[in-house]
Amino acid sequence: MKRSLYFVLRIAAAILLILNTGCWSSNEIEDVSVYVGLGLDVAQVSEFERGIEKQGASYPREKVLTATVQIVPPITGKGQKQGGSSSTPSEAYMNEKLTGDSIIQIFRQFSLRRDRPLIGHHLKVIVVSSELAKRYSLEQIFDFILRDNDIRPSCLVLVSHRNAFEALSTNEPGEVPALYLAGLVDNRYRSNKIIPPVTLIKLDSAMQSGSSFLLQNVVTAQNDHKFSGAGIFKGSTKKWVGELSQLDLEGLSWFSFDVKGGALKTYAPEGYSITYEPKNSKSKIIPKVEGNDISFHIKVSSEGRLIEDWSFPEIPSSGQYMRELEKQFEKEARKQIQQVLHKMQHVYRVDVGGFNKQLRIKYPKVWNKVKEDWDETFSNIPITYEIDMKITDFGSSTD
Amino acid sequence: MSGINNGPKDQITTSQAAVMVINYMLGAGILTLPRTMVEAAKTSDVWMSILISGVIILVAGWVIVKLCRRFQGKTVFQFMPEITGKWIAFIISMIIITYFITISAFEIRIMAEVTGFYLLEGTPAWAIVMTFMWVGLYLILGGINCIARLYEIILPITLVFFLIAILLSSRIFDVNHLRPLLGSGIKPVLQGIKPSLLSFTGYEIMLVTTAFMKNPKKANKAMMAGIVVPVIIYLITVIMVIGGMSINGVEKRTWPTLDLVRSFEVQGLFFERFESLLLVIWIMQIFSTFTVTHYAASLGWSQLFKKNVRPFIFAMLPVIYLIAMIPKDINEAFKLGDMFGNVSVYLFGGIPLILLLISILLKKGAKPN
Repeated sequence: MKRSLYFVLRIAAAILLILNTGCWSSNEIEDVSVYVGLGLDVAQVSEFERGIEKQGASYPREKVLTATVQIVPPITGKGQKQGGSSSTPSEAYMNEKLTGDSIIQIFRQFSLRRDRPLIGHHLKVIVVSSELAKRYSLEQIFDFILRDNDIRPSCLVLVSHRNAFEALSTNEPGEVPALYLAGLVDNRYRSNKIIPPVTLIKLDSAMQSGSSFLLQNVVTAQNDHKFSGAGIFKGSTKKWVGELSQLDLEGLSWFSFDVKGGALKTYAPEGYSITYEPKNSKSKIIPKVEGNDISFHIKVSSEGRLIEDWSFPEIPSSGQYMRELEKQFEKEARKQIQQVLHKMQHVYRVDVGGFNKQLRIKYPKVWNKVKEDWDETFSNIPITYEIDMKITDFGSSTD
Repeated sequence: MSGINNGPKDQITTSQAAVMVINYMLGAGILTLPRTMVEAAKTSDVWMSILISGVIILVAGWVIVKLCRRFQGKTVFQFMPEITGKWIAFIISMIIITYFITISAFEIRIMAEVTGFYLLEGTPAWAIVMTFMWVGLYLILGGINCIARLYEIILPITLVFFLIAILLSSRIFDVNHLRPLLGSGIKPVLQGIKPSLLSFTGYEIMLVTTAFMKNPKKANKAMMAGIVVPVIIYLITVIMVIGGMSINGVEKRTWPTLDLVRSFEVQGLFFERFESLLLVIWIMQIFSTFTVTHYAASLGWSQLFKKNVRPFIFAMLPVIYLIAMIPKDINEAFKLGDMFGNVSVYLFGGIPLILLLISILLKKGAKPN
């Protein structure tokens, strides 16, 4: 009796095993739309939406923002057939726009239009237009994105000068703009006009800390893009207040984040351009507190290479000439720093240079007193700076 | 199945005892630890709180070992009547058993919540929980030896992968997030001790396992190792999480440790994303916490009523499941965990000390040589 019972149980277990050969809630990659880029703009109702609304196909909403998702279409059988002809350029990606007042609702609206619903695991870049960020706080715009369980906190956040939709479009065949933008931040070793990447998690902690911060700015023209400068976000409102130009960023980079590369150009007395390539830069912001007076001193020391010299007739790279050039480059960097400090303190009245961090670390008690209204306090704080440039070599040509 | 007693084959080595403590301690807590500590202390110095509470736990652990060593080969449920008399012992035993059951349920619930959110969205909670519990049941039926041997396999895997995943986050680590040291004085550090104590629950398992040790003289060593390893793991976790995300970032994330691993991608390595890996090894840790508490609770019942342990193991299964499903949402689940963490501080920080003092005064039990 018992034996036959065990036999039945064994058979049952074996049958159950067959039923067990899959994932419970699996979702095949072919059945979902993977989006890699997300653009957030102020509401612009698209032709399509206007068309369907005429037929009464709308739902109650305010026209607050337009979300653009950049979908990477899966390689289908159809595409392989055409294989030989490198035809339509827009094949590498697909931009979809929808308007509404809740990002998650917009996302869910997509499932009414496409058979393959969106999944956010592979979102690489979020572009916010400055226009939208001027009107709404980033805390509001990013609330869903920070809560969502699909979107990873490693996603990069950029701000676009004009339209986020444009920033996610390209004419180049085979190029996915979102991936291209995500790759640009890796070029920091070549340019000090790129700020360290701001990922979602960094954005979140910057917003929570209440200090002002920067986001890299994307400028677009003729469907091509370029990183240029950075958008400034005020800590108290988390709204876009203005922009730092490329030159400002260069100035900022000398003391605010480590310079890994770039080119510092100045003009020789005769008017020819001479360029210095920073290789190894160190900087220090030293806060000083005397009584109630706070002041900062910036110390920059940079080593690099004389990489281009247009002087004609050529001047041999003698030691004395190098010293002269060093002075010249120092002057140039000083000019840049002065410019960005002026913008921070007197134009926008925000601290995006990390001065607050140094004060917090060195004088935590003072910081606790001034942190509430730091941006205002900061605008009246005297800042001095000294720069020490050193040309260590002149490349493979000695004259 | 030897049932009530530890037969000759139900014995564990010193290192197995240590591994059991470690596996019990490392559980659901590590995913939320950085947040709970920062919430309480509001400072980046919370890693010091971990060191301090580590020392406190070492003392508490030492007391427990001292107590158990006086009653060789007996678990807390067996020797307590000798100290306090039958009825008080019965009540305290019931509390301890309830505690084990609830911790077991809590771990299961958190496991279901996290896997449901990050890993298996759409799979019903009962499907995740039940398979988990059945496998656990199968393990427990094998007795303490099987449990210990499985833990010995789990532990190195979890340690290696955990450290890889956490240390890879050094790419977003910024030491400035941890500075200034003691910027707001020592007081916040002390406030951080309480939440970190909660994550050290687990050393109490020695109240049970010392009885099974082949060489009880080394119980102290096992306890030490069992506490020091989690202290190091917690320390690394908290430092890396705060260094990577800053206290402002940590405070608002539900699962900061997971989010840390989600905050970077490693290109060119075999994996680009490590959170699934972390979740998998961490589920193993939850599994071990769940099984050991389930086992301890069942063993408690069986020794209390001097009956075979087997039926109790089965009987505990639905009880644990039902308790796990009581909290209506995740916040209630966290509250439940906090509550029993608090209970544990008094239960296993206070009572063993009292028991030890009484037994010394009344000269109960054998003095350890």
